[in-house]
Amino acid sequence: MKLVTAIIKPFVLEDVKGALEQIGVLGMTVSEVQGYGRQKGHTEVYRGAEYSVDFVPKVRVEVVADDALAEKVVDAVIESARTGKIGDGKVWTTPVESVVRVRTGERGADAI
Amino acid sequence: MQLVTAVVKPFALDEVRAALAALGVESTTVAEVAGFGRQRGHTEVYRGADYRLDYVPKVRVEVVVEDAMAEPVVDAVVRAARTGRIGDGKVWVSRLAWAHGPDTVASEDVGGGRR
Repeated sequence: MKLVTAIIKPFVLEDVKGALEQIGVLGMTVSEVQGYGRQKGHTEVYRGAEYSVDFVPKVRVEVVADDALAEKVVDAVIESARTGKIGDGKVWTTPVESVVRVRTGERGADAI
Repeated sequence: MQLVTAVVKPFALDEVRAALAALGVESTTVAEVAGFGRQRGHTEVYRGADYRLDYVPKVRVEVVVEDAMAEPVVDAVVRAARTGRIGDGKVWVSRLAWAHGPDTVASEDVGGGRR
């Protein structure tokens, strides 16, 4: 199993969500984060306001999936989050040793 | 070292924290997040208000522990966060290549035991 973490532009969240649903992702966790990359201090337009701060608003999306689906998740996120402009974000994958569904105590693939 | 990540109902946070403290785990990171699972669009009551949103408010709890502590921590979180209803959340465990911080520095100095 893998944890796929994506840091993306906030306004592409719905596109990413739609793309993930199409490939069979049944759940995800989303949080508002801030960050910067190579263009540290580069201004970015977000909701009509220009940000010249170091930390640009981003959305972090996390999906736990089995190994085969995780590959597709990465591809789907890249395709749906790409605008071609600076600040599109990053996607990475982390191995997950075990998963538990809290309500039932199910473990492994059944818990995803 | 293992990273235990739990996404649970917000009101379960205090119980989860108490359960972790009972295990001697005091360093946790908590973040307000939102998410959905299989019951997408299912309404959930949060602080007395019905939420029909796709994204239900959740709390993410992250704990870095030594390998032997990962299972007890997972069990404790699951027990503390369980209501038996949909949306109780998930807990997962990732192996960390390395960790550096007050806890790990102390444990390395004393040969691997927890602080």
